[in-house]
This record gives sequence, structure tokens and C-alpha cells, in this order.
Amino acid sequence: MTSPILSAKHISKYYGSGHTKVRAVNDVSLEIQPGELMLIMGPSGSGKTTLLSMLGGLLKPSEGNIEIEGINITQLKEAALPNIRALKIGFIFQAFNLLEALTVEENILFPAQLRKDKANSAKQRADELIQQLKLEHRRSALPQTLSGGEKQRVAIARALINEPGLILADEPTGNLDSQTGQEVMMILHDIARDHGYSVVMVTHDPRVEDIADRIMWLEDGALHDRKSETHQWTHDPVCGMRVDEWKAEIKTEYKEKTYIFCSQRCKQRFEKNPVQYVSHFKRDESSR
Amino acid sequence: MFQWAWKSLAKQPGSLTASASGIAFAFILVIFFDAVWQGESEQVVAYPENIKPDIWVMQSGVANMHMAMSFVWDWKADKIASMPGVKQVTPILYLSNVIVAGDTKMFAFIVGLLPDAQRAGPWSMSAGRQIKNPGEVVIPDVLSGLTGIGMGDQLRIADKNFTVVGLSSGTYSSANTVLFVPFKDLEDILSSSGTYSYLLVDADDGIDAQALAVQIRNEVDKVNALTHAEFIKNDFSLASQMGVEIILMMTTICSVLAALIVAFTAYSLVMRKRQEIAIIKALGVKNLLIFYALMLQAGLVTLYGFVIAIVFALFVIPYVPLLVPQLTLIVSMESLLQLGVIAFAVAISGALLPTHMVLRLDPATAFHI
Repeated sequence: MTSPILSAKHISKYYGSGHTKVRAVNDVSLEIQPGELMLIMGPSGSGKTTLLSMLGGLLKPSEGNIEIEGINITQLKEAALPNIRALKIGFIFQAFNLLEALTVEENILFPAQLRKDKANSAKQRADELIQQLKLEHRRSALPQTLSGGEKQRVAIARALINEPGLILADEPTGNLDSQTGQEVMMILHDIARDHGYSVVMVTHDPRVEDIADRIMWLEDGALHDRKSETHQWTHDPVCGMRVDEWKAEIKTEYKEKTYIFCSQRCKQRFEKNPVQYVSHFKRDESSR
Repeated sequence: MFQWAWKSLAKQPGSLTASASGIAFAFILVIFFDAVWQGESEQVVAYPENIKPDIWVMQSGVANMHMAMSFVWDWKADKIASMPGVKQVTPILYLSNVIVAGDTKMFAFIVGLLPDAQRAGPWSMSAGRQIKNPGEVVIPDVLSGLTGIGMGDQLRIADKNFTVVGLSSGTYSSANTVLFVPFKDLEDILSSSGTYSYLLVDADDGIDAQALAVQIRNEVDKVNALTHAEFIKNDFSLASQMGVEIILMMTTICSVLAALIVAFTAYSLVMRKRQEIAIIKALGVKNLLIFYALMLQAGLVTLYGFVIAIVFALFVIPYVPLLVPQLTLIVSMESLLQLGVIAFAVAISGALLPTHMVLRLDPATAFHI
């Protein structure tokens, strides 16, 4: 068993004191292994963002310890935390949070300026990410000219430029339409599965559940087992992602049957070779 | 980080130019007041500087000309003229008084010239001629333009009327306007006889002026003799002392104004960009680096304003006296360098104001944008 990228032990966060004391996060412990994609779900105000802020070294827990790659960040001085954030953690925000005056390429390269040991290879790494995330044609564009999906892809590339072990994503699909959101989810899924990044994602989006390795439910500041919900679920025949039939918009007919997809990409793949996917789909559906 | 600082600034050129123009305005005021002061200081010594004898002789205890009064007996001039090494002695009578030119009353320095004076008169004439006869006066051409008193017109000095026969150039400033009248007329005004105010002594070729001045002081009773350089230095020093406090105050006020504009610019930049600064902090940029970036922004705005001010100083201020001839403006390289130092201090102090805001900005707010 490899050592965890992130280990949080009995962390709590209190605000106020005495009668006005509020427990935003209460005695939470978790670990995440390399290449693991963990979802943290829960109702609004449950403490998800507070927990994510603590895991990212943006907020000091009132109690408990957090270790990132073996470094206890709760013991570090305030001045040492920026280095941890720059080198060990990649952040993806709901509102994208790109720097408006910088181009796509400059935004992606921004955190690389903080890593002097890899300054020479940063440009090459940015080129790879731009290509991987299909941003070649938008390389010199300013954020204000990008679509929501493009902005989030730039934010993902920025989070990956320094090759941190841990990616923290706060509602990464929250400001995206469902189709673009699915595409972003697949990218995050791929970077965990194919590239070994550990991804902790806070989300309300139930469609992500199937691509996650673990799902945690945070309610009233405490972590519980995943709470099940009832939906009219089916599965994308290409990627296997769970899709809500009631809301799905990307569909196609094949041999008098309707197939629903998470994204246009999956639909296009299906239409190129439906036979390949239909056989898998039938087997999978029957096993459920 | 510095790329972000520069591009954030350049993304709003209107705001940048407005801030830089405000700073430039404050700097231009600093340059302008300094130029006025420099010009007036130079103009105060314009008369002795242009007359330029080797030695100035005056009453003992007097060491300059501006706003001074000196009486030297005429026989002392004869004694000095007979000393070995003295080539020529030119006596002048000198009075500072109010003149009445048309409806205008103003303070002026009046120089009384002997008919045979080889030097000591106006060094540059723009119209008319030098004085020859009693009751004639040469006035500055700028004074003529300001008062409308021209050739053939009359003006009053004390209780005596004079007719303008010539206009001199380079003899006007708001601090001292120099008029030239016949010696005898000024003697009448002063009700004096047998005395001079200053003796302009020229030494023979090869004679050391310094040594000759010492010799005059030693051999002639109750006179002071100074070389031209010493005399000018005294006059300039006195003139500088008279204006330096006001100019220093003006410079300080304008510098503080510029610093406030820079500070306001830096503050508003931080206010506008506080969300991005929170993001930058969340991404791992240290406070010190952010502060340097803000310093760079403040420095760039200040530099922009400084350049505008320098362009104005070099290409506009020299032409102001064409529109306002009573002003003598001198923009010196020294004052521009001083302004550069002020600008640097302004940029640093301006960037300090929003520092506490940056320090207090919580990077966790990046999650709530």
C-alpha cells in the first residue's frame, strides 16, 4: 500500500466561542491515495468548502492535523503555506478564477513562475496541457473571450502545470451547463485514472458519482457514508457514466432504442461504431 | 507575477493615464515652482552678473546689492583709481524705490550712471538708445509691455518725472526690475552729493583681483571690496534664502499631493483586483511578491506621470515666458534629478498604503468568488 497523498486526522473548525460557537467541520478524518478520485458531497452549508479550504492550506483547522505528502501543514508557519499550495496542490474553482489580464497560456504558466526548479520545462509542459485539453486555438485568448468550458479547462491546466500530487476542485461544474460539465468531469476522471493525480472534488452533481472512487457525505460538519438518492438513472453506453434520463439532452436512436450520453464526445464515439458499445451496454444493463 | 502586475495596469489604459496625469500635474507644479524660483534667483543677480567688473567696492559692512544700501565718498573712488593695478573705476548710484508707470506702481532698482560711464549701463537694448540727457530713463521692455509705457512716455521716480528713451532686455523680474537714469537726477532724488553707492573696479591685465580686493580693503578706510564671484555668490545666496522656504513648502505640498494620487491609484487597483489577489494568494504567491508587484504598479504609474512632467518641463515651460513675459523660468537638470528622487519616494510611499489590505486578504475567499 502506497502512502497517502493527503491525510487528515480529526480535523475540526470552530467559529465564535461560548454560546455562539459554531462547528463548521467536526472531527473529520480522511485519506486519499495517489490516483484516487474522491467526492465530497453534502447539502449547502454543510462545511464542504471549509473542509476543502483546510485541506488546501488556506484555512487553519481549530483541531487536528493535515498531512500532504507527509508534511504536516497544520504545524507549518503561515509564511510556509504558500510554497505548499504552489508546489503540492492544484486548485480548481467553481468560478474558474482566471486572471483577467493574462492570456490562456499565461494563466496556465502563472503557477510555474513559483517553481524555479522547473522553469525551463514549464513552457513545454504548458504546450502539452494546452494540446491535451484542446486549447490550441485559444492559446492567446483572454479569459473574457472564452466559454465556460474553455475557462474551466484552462483552470484545470493551471492546476496541473506544477504537477502537484493533489488536486482540490470546488464545484468544478457548478457554473457549466450539463453537457460541458460532463466533459469537465471526464477530464478530471482521466487525470486521476490515467495520470495518477489524487483529486478531491466538492460537488452537488450526482452524475459524477459513478466516476468517483469514493464518495463522502458531509452534513452538519461531520463526514458520513454516502447518502443515496433516487433518480431515473441510466448509463452512457460509451463511458459508463450514470446519466439522469429525465434531464439528459444528448441522445441518439439505434435499432429502435434510445441511447443517452453524458457528452457530445461520447455520442460521436458511439455513432462511429455503435455495435461495439451496444453489446457492452446490454451486458452491463442486464447485470444491474 | 510582474507580468500580471504590468498587464493588469495596461488593461485599463484610461484609468492608468488619468492617474499618471494627476501625478504629472503635481510634478509639473513642483517643476514650475522650482523654475520660477531658479529664474527669479538668477534674475536677482542679472545686473551684477552682466556688468561683471573684476571688483565691487561698497560701504564697509555691505556685501551685496539686492535690497542693500551703500554710500562711498567720492574721494575714495579717486584713491582707488590711483592705486597700482587698477585699470578703471566706474561709480554708480543705486536706489531701490517705488516707481509709478501709468496706473501701475511697482518696486524697482534704479541705477544712476555718470555721463562718461564706460560700463554699468543696460547691456542689451531692444529699442531706443542709452540715456544722454537729464530726465531720461531706460526701462525694461517687459515693463513697457506690461504698463503700456513706451518710447517718449513718462514715468515717475519719487517726485521726479522721466521720459523713456530706451527699452532694455533682460532687466526685468518680479523681484527686481532695473531702470537706468542719469547720475545727477538720482543724486537730486536722494538729496545727496559727493557720494557713490558702488564702485565697479576693473583691474589691469595680469593683476590678481583677489589680491587687489584685499589691498583696497586694507588701504581704503571703511570700504568693503569683493571680487565679482564673491559678490555674486552673496547676492544669489540672499535671494535664495528669501524664496527657499516658500519653494520648499510648495515642493512638499505638491510631492504629498503626488504621493496621495499614487496611493489612491494603488489603493483602487488593490480594491478592484482584490478578488484576483485572493486567487493569487490561494495559488501560492507570497505576500512579499504581491507587495513587489504593487510596488511595480505604483512605480510604473509614477514613472508615466514623471515622463509626462519631464516632457512638459522640457517642451512647454520654456515657452511660458512668451505668454507671460514677467516670468523668468529656468528648468535645471539638477531640479529634474531632484524630482526623480521625489518621484521614487512618492512611488514607494504610495505603494505602502494598500499593503495592509493585501496582508489581511484571506486567500480562502478565492472559493467564494
